[in-house]
Amino acid sequence: MSDIIDDELRRAFVAIADVLIPAYGDLPAASGADVGGEPLDRILTLRDDVKATFVRGLRAVVGKPADAAARALNGSDPTALAAIGLVASAAYYMNPEVRKKIGYPGQDSSPIDPNAPPDYMQGNLLQPVIARGAIYRPTPGR
Amino acid sequence: MAPTEKSNRVADVLIVGAGASGLVAAKHLTANGFDVVCLEQGDRVDHGSFWGDKPEFELMIQKLWHPNPNVRDLASDYPIDTSESDVPILMYSAVGGTTILYGAHWQRFMPSDFRVKTLDGVAADWPFAYEDLAPYYAEMEREIGVSGLAGDPAFPPGEGPPLPALPLGKMGRKAAEGMNKLGWHWWPAPNSIASRAFEGRNPCALRGTCRNGCVEGAKASFDLTHLPVALKNGLRLVSGARVREITVNDAGLASGAIYVDRNGRERRQLARTVIVCCNGVGTPRLLLNSKSAKFPDGLANSSGLVGRNLMLHPYSTVIGHFDDWLDSWRGPAGQPIQSMHFYETDAKRGFVRGAKWHVLPGGGPLGGPPKPGRPFDEAWGESFHRNRESVFGRSFEWGIMAEDLPEEANRVELHSTLTDSDGIPAAKIVYNYAENTKRLSQFHLARATEAMEASGATSVTVRPLMTDRSEHNTGASLMATGHLMGTCRMGDDPSASVVNQWGQAHDVPNLFVYDGSVFVTSAGFNPTGTICAVALRSVKHLIANRRDQEAAA
Repeated sequence: MSDIIDDELRRAFVAIADVLIPAYGDLPAASGADVGGEPLDRILTLRDDVKATFVRGLRAVVGKPADAAARALNGSDPTALAAIGLVASAAYYMNPEVRKKIGYPGQDSSPIDPNAPPDYMQGNLLQPVIARGAIYRPTPGR
Repeated sequence: MAPTEKSNRVADVLIVGAGASGLVAAKHLTANGFDVVCLEQGDRVDHGSFWGDKPEFELMIQKLWHPNPNVRDLASDYPIDTSESDVPILMYSAVGGTTILYGAHWQRFMPSDFRVKTLDGVAADWPFAYEDLAPYYAEMEREIGVSGLAGDPAFPPGEGPPLPALPLGKMGRKAAEGMNKLGWHWWPAPNSIASRAFEGRNPCALRGTCRNGCVEGAKASFDLTHLPVALKNGLRLVSGARVREITVNDAGLASGAIYVDRNGRERRQLARTVIVCCNGVGTPRLLLNSKSAKFPDGLANSSGLVGRNLMLHPYSTVIGHFDDWLDSWRGPAGQPIQSMHFYETDAKRGFVRGAKWHVLPGGGPLGGPPKPGRPFDEAWGESFHRNRESVFGRSFEWGIMAEDLPEEANRVELHSTLTDSDGIPAAKIVYNYAENTKRLSQFHLARATEAMEASGATSVTVRPLMTDRSEHNTGASLMATGHLMGTCRMGDDPSASVVNQWGQAHDVPNLFVYDGSVFVTSAGFNPTGTICAVALRSVKHLIANRRDQEAAA
């Protein structure tokens, strides 16, 4: 692990993250998606603007029962809980296994087939629009 | 210390701002033999630095690639005080300007947009008509490679865009089927996104990342479409150059500009003619900052209208949620379809003018940053998953772009204390929704809800006009368009306008404005297509009349 965040805070983060994102159906809880591992370091490096608030929140909950601490933090320092939630949910949705299970390949490339008939021409979809005719007001006097 | 001249060569034309209109001017002026210098406060953008093809995409667009400069807070950005505005301001400072991040909805205005006073008795008519601008619309569509389909009955007949329309996709088709059930207008939408390879640009791959940087090189950002030709023609581009003021000579002509470079040094660029292309906020800010003995209220401001009549296209939206899987993170974003069914005035509705609608995709699973203080059990625990299930992959929006009518009270002014990092007074926005806008938005939200229901939505989320000003700079809300218009309006009467129909300042004959500041009215359409057509018309007039153009020595 890197020195971006110490082990005590990292453990506190994972515990809170599991409260925020529990297991659900075939989806893992946050810890099962490795949110406290390398993704955490990467996110805090890329988004150093959230780090101070994130750490502030974790310092307030470290050593406390996670569920009660998370709920309390949402009342006492909602910005900090939101920062923890952002990091947890970003790491979760970057996880390849989670992406696969929710059907999200990322903003992937889906090239347009230049030889395929245009989908707007299929099934006479445009025909009623064309049949109704012009809907604009022309320039007066032109 | 007096500003130093980086080069003692007096430019034929100085362009301030390398966004869409500035680069249209640069391309055509350099092609016609003009010696042109362009000063741009931002930098060249490395398109390899976009995040659209990486797992961190949704995380990074909340900050570094957010369209709100107050959220990004980059060195090239200047702060904007929106504490007295109903709407936040979006823009991007870079070579290519906001086209780096725009949605690339490439629209024409409709004929009535240029005659709102004559037809609807409000605002003012433009000094030219749709038919006068139509050839320039067509030329711009060819220059940048617009994708679309000819024959939209919302417009006069014409040749149509040069490239085939982008696909409707599952979302566009779902929306279109609903509109057909209701007998309402829709059409495959025009986008300045290449559906086929076009002049060095790649075809769109429907990643849906258009508004945060196109990794495919398919979107017509003007650093790709116009800059290379202008540079080849000899354009002298200076990036990282923040212009402090336009200077004037004893004859009251614009003589150039003083700017601050990235090393904090003040420099001067002399020019015979000056064209300002800094957008509807940056242009009035610069002119108001250009005070002198001859122009104590700011340059070209004898009418008192520099900064007035700000129009921002108030935005509201209806999001439909469906049982069907719609791949709704996919592009174009961009717009697959549009509707102008409720665009023209109908007096029975209780307001004038209307709005363009467009379908936008729902985005990825992360969405915006969590809203602080949301009740815990609504946001987290099982709700975290249930919220995603109900939205992700199954929802899209009908975006409603309300025509914003000009009101002098809505304005850009200089901030009394806030400055940018070079000490130049920043812009303050004073902007309130008009009563007409509120009624218009309510009506359209109700109709868009009906459209979603006709398409089979199982539920809808209605997002009305933004009212919580505390959310402007959180990065969470994108209920704004970044369409900045009207603050140096054009017209024939020098007491009621800042520039004439060619963008020429009434007060300073060798000073021009080519950006959206010159709009008389906003229409209900994304403005870049019209900004560029008007700029093209203006610069061609300037080129054709070069021998008669009064210029600083």
